Amino acid sequence: MTSNRFYLQVVATIALALSASVASAANIAAGKEKASTICAGCHGADGVTSVDPSYPKLAGQYPDYLARALTEYKSGSRKNPIMGGMAAALTKEDIANISAYYASLPSPLTVKKR
Amino acid sequence: MLNAFHQFGFKGAVAAVIAAIGVVFSSTVLAQGAAQAAASGAGSAGSAEIVGSAQAGAKKNSACIGCHGIPEYKTAFPVTYRVPKIAGQSEKYLESALKAYRSGDRPHPSMKGIATTLTDQDIADLAAFYAGKN
Repeated sequence: MTSNRFYLQVVATIALALSASVASAANIAAGKEKASTICAGCHGADGVTSVDPSYPKLAGQYPDYLARALTEYKSGSRKNPIMGGMAAALTKEDIANISAYYASLPSPLTVKKR
Repeated sequence: MLNAFHQFGFKGAVAAVIAAIGVVFSSTVLAQGAAQAAASGAGSAGSAEIVGSAQAGAKKNSACIGCHGIPEYKTAFPVTYRVPKIAGQSEKYLESALKAYRSGDRPHPSMKGIATTLTDQDIADLAAFYAGKN
């Protein structure tokens, strides 16, 4: 009985750790779904052809930068009336997923060394 | 004028003439200024007369390349993330981003520090350069 309980605890711990790591890893498919309803209207379905030239290209941008920008729009430390409203509706998980999705798209963005 | 001559003598008359010239001149300058303001107001968005030059921007980017010129470069402050890729980005967006850092609408300390040293023309030139405009 005691050994059974021990195994149960071990299995439960592993399962918990596994689910936690799955939850924290960004989900590109979920990001795509969110992005298609929230972001694509302005930034374009491909993350490149935005409806206004003053809106940035997102495709292929570093996901950690995208997440940082969204987090700042959400907190209000980066002030923009449109993006503030959009980001306010996003959870931390949404932000990670959407950032991973746009980062995965083919990109016109590069690093110019000089 | 004759009255002035009688009242204040020759010096007074000269002063009156100089003052009269001054009034005419300054009103001409004012009129020109107003005409210029009206002309620029007719443009699309106030700063429409500033046109970015990629060639000029290429000579102004020494403060950019230390971070944005290094692939995968990470900021260490205030939090850690890779600085964005900016080459190939939209010109208008780059311009508005730099202006937002300059005004404080975006919080990054080193970007604010750099952006506050830039004029509208510098910003337009850098945006043109990084957008890959010819």
